[in-house]
Amino acid sequence: MRVRMAARLVRGLLVAISATGLAVSAQAQEKKIKIGVVFDLTGPLAGGGSELGYIGAKIILDHFARTGVEGYKIEAVYADAQSKPDIAINESVRLLEQEKVDMVLGFFSSAQCVPVAARVEQLKKFMWMTTCISSAVFNEKGYKYVFRPQASGDQFGMMTMDFIAQNAKAKFDKEPKDLRVAIIHEDGAYGVDVSKGNEAGAKKAGFNVVMKEGYSATAPDLSALVTKLKRAKPDVIFHTGYNPDITLLLRQAREQGLKFGALMGHGAGYGVYEKLKEGMGADATYIFNTDPISIWLANQKTMDPKLPAVIKMVGEEFDKIRPGVAIRSAHVGIGASNTYVFMNDVLPRAIKKYGGVDPDALRKAALDTDIPEGGTMLGFGVKFYGEGTPMAGQNERSFPVVIQYIDDKSSVVWPKSQAQREAVLPLPKGTTYSNQ
Amino acid sequence: MQAFLDIFDIYLLEAVINGILLGGVLALLALGLNLIFGVIDVTWICYAELVMIGMYAMYFMVQHYGISYFVAAPLTILLVAVLGAALHYLVIAPLLTAPPINQLLATGGVLFVLQSFATVAFGIDFRNLGIRLPVLAFGEMHFSYARLLSFLAALVGMVVVYLFMTRTFTGTAIRAISQDRQIMALMGVDTKRIYLITSALGGALAGLAACLLVLQYDVHPFVGLSFGPITFLICVLGGLGNFIGGFIAAFVFAEIISLGGLFSDLEWGYVLAFAFFIVMMFIRPAGLLARRR
Repeated sequence: MRVRMAARLVRGLLVAISATGLAVSAQAQEKKIKIGVVFDLTGPLAGGGSELGYIGAKIILDHFARTGVEGYKIEAVYADAQSKPDIAINESVRLLEQEKVDMVLGFFSSAQCVPVAARVEQLKKFMWMTTCISSAVFNEKGYKYVFRPQASGDQFGMMTMDFIAQNAKAKFDKEPKDLRVAIIHEDGAYGVDVSKGNEAGAKKAGFNVVMKEGYSATAPDLSALVTKLKRAKPDVIFHTGYNPDITLLLRQAREQGLKFGALMGHGAGYGVYEKLKEGMGADATYIFNTDPISIWLANQKTMDPKLPAVIKMVGEEFDKIRPGVAIRSAHVGIGASNTYVFMNDVLPRAIKKYGGVDPDALRKAALDTDIPEGGTMLGFGVKFYGEGTPMAGQNERSFPVVIQYIDDKSSVVWPKSQAQREAVLPLPKGTTYSNQ
Repeated sequence: MQAFLDIFDIYLLEAVINGILLGGVLALLALGLNLIFGVIDVTWICYAELVMIGMYAMYFMVQHYGISYFVAAPLTILLVAVLGAALHYLVIAPLLTAPPINQLLATGGVLFVLQSFATVAFGIDFRNLGIRLPVLAFGEMHFSYARLLSFLAALVGMVVVYLFMTRTFTGTAIRAISQDRQIMALMGVDTKRIYLITSALGGALAGLAACLLVLQYDVHPFVGLSFGPITFLICVLGGLGNFIGGFIAAFVFAEIISLGGLFSDLEWGYVLAFAFFIVMMFIRPAGLLARRR
């Protein structure tokens, strides 16, 4: 009898132990991070560059979904912001509260980033912005859970002004005070923010700002704006827009005979050369654009030796999705690189050093980030402004570059340290918009 | 004197003429919508989306199939005319006796269906016809041939619709129905046929607008959002169903946008135009050319 009881006890113990073991192993298998990914896949912003950013981020997420990170499975849940800030907020909240994602990642439009960041911070959840640039997201907000490796809008505006300031005398044969500049921008958070950087840069350089004006990106007619530009006779136009407002402006500029010496774009629609070319034909040549450097143009010699292989992989995957593209948009690389920084640097540290993927572990891991220049596919480093600083959460090591489209190629022309060729400035005689 | 010359320069004249040309675009869009409302008493909220479908038709025929623009244009007009008739047959006809709000919601639903259809079928890319018309230059002033064509088309379209409505039996029947839809049925007029013809005609005018807008704008599934609300406001401002009112309202609206944008920020041009609309709704709620009762 005793023997039977002992045998039962042993059997019971064995069952209990194996059940516990199974549970532990199931728990180990279940270790995963759910990432909510929000981009605009429909609506005007989708074609303006958001879908390209989504493709870049997805390539990296798919890559890590195959390998996992520190024993964690990666599960991405995608949502479409439909080019509307309210949908972006609702989708982010839905992902966090109903889909129970551990964090949200992505976001193309600054008009979405500003309110979504406020909402996510309120929920004390982690947010990693890959693409939007408005400084207003962080300025004096004191967020703890919101991070952005991407350069900020005022940096974009300052960079183009700096480029023209350094070239005013040599290329335009004019002192900065004699150089007439016009600043025009779409009137959303993105355009306004970049234009502030433009304005600050113009003031610093001592340019003669002959016009500064915003407009709605969905306006059906920009002819009055073009007429005012004709009246103002700027040497250089600094334009921040999405698409199709960029092609509408430039088409109406051609039809109304607007002439200038250079056109400086600031990302978004200017980053999608294929569309510029389709809308403007040969007139897309010599346009400048400011963006983080395209990962396919970045100097791989000064880069972390692990990264060229990743860049190659992203390019190959992109070519499978979009074969035959003449110039791979910088947006793809921005989405890919900024997602890669999180997956390759922040997430492993959160798991190993801070024990998991909860918002506080991710926040602490993000604050520890210290990637030197050349440590990302975009060339810049990553270190976030710390808590208590005015731009807490923004990458202090990011910078955009100025590129120029020439003969269906894009080349970095500024800053000098990254330049791949001499800029063609002002527009050559005989080109449609040339004021020579 | 110098201040006067600074304002009244050649650029002011250019803005005035550009306002007139923009008015042509808006008048062309308003023409078909007014016709539908005047006769069938239903507002096609999805009118601009029909134009969008027509623009896609033009794009694919010209760019992908290499069909000449001049052959593609009548085909597009025909296609959108058929779409207009189908819209009436499938959506409007069953709701003719329903409350106006139901009709409005139904055509609003069609708007989303067409936008989503275009997104799924054609993708979210902006597409450009790639035809660059020459520019008409007078000294410092330059004007777009594409806009001049729209202006002329609006003018000719207006005259043709007017002649059709006043000089043909079908046109007379359409006008009669717009005055009293019940009595015309009692007098032996086939009202269903007249509605179908009117819808096809409205669709054809949307198709005509598409053929001309595709020369000036990129095509994408949401292009209708840029024009739809303004077109609707113009029709209301001119008096829904009043062709001449709509025509004049289009030019008034366009001039306010153009000159407001020249003298202030472009945004203010639109603000002034919409403020004008609101004020006019108080002063002349039935439209600019409505008869006082």
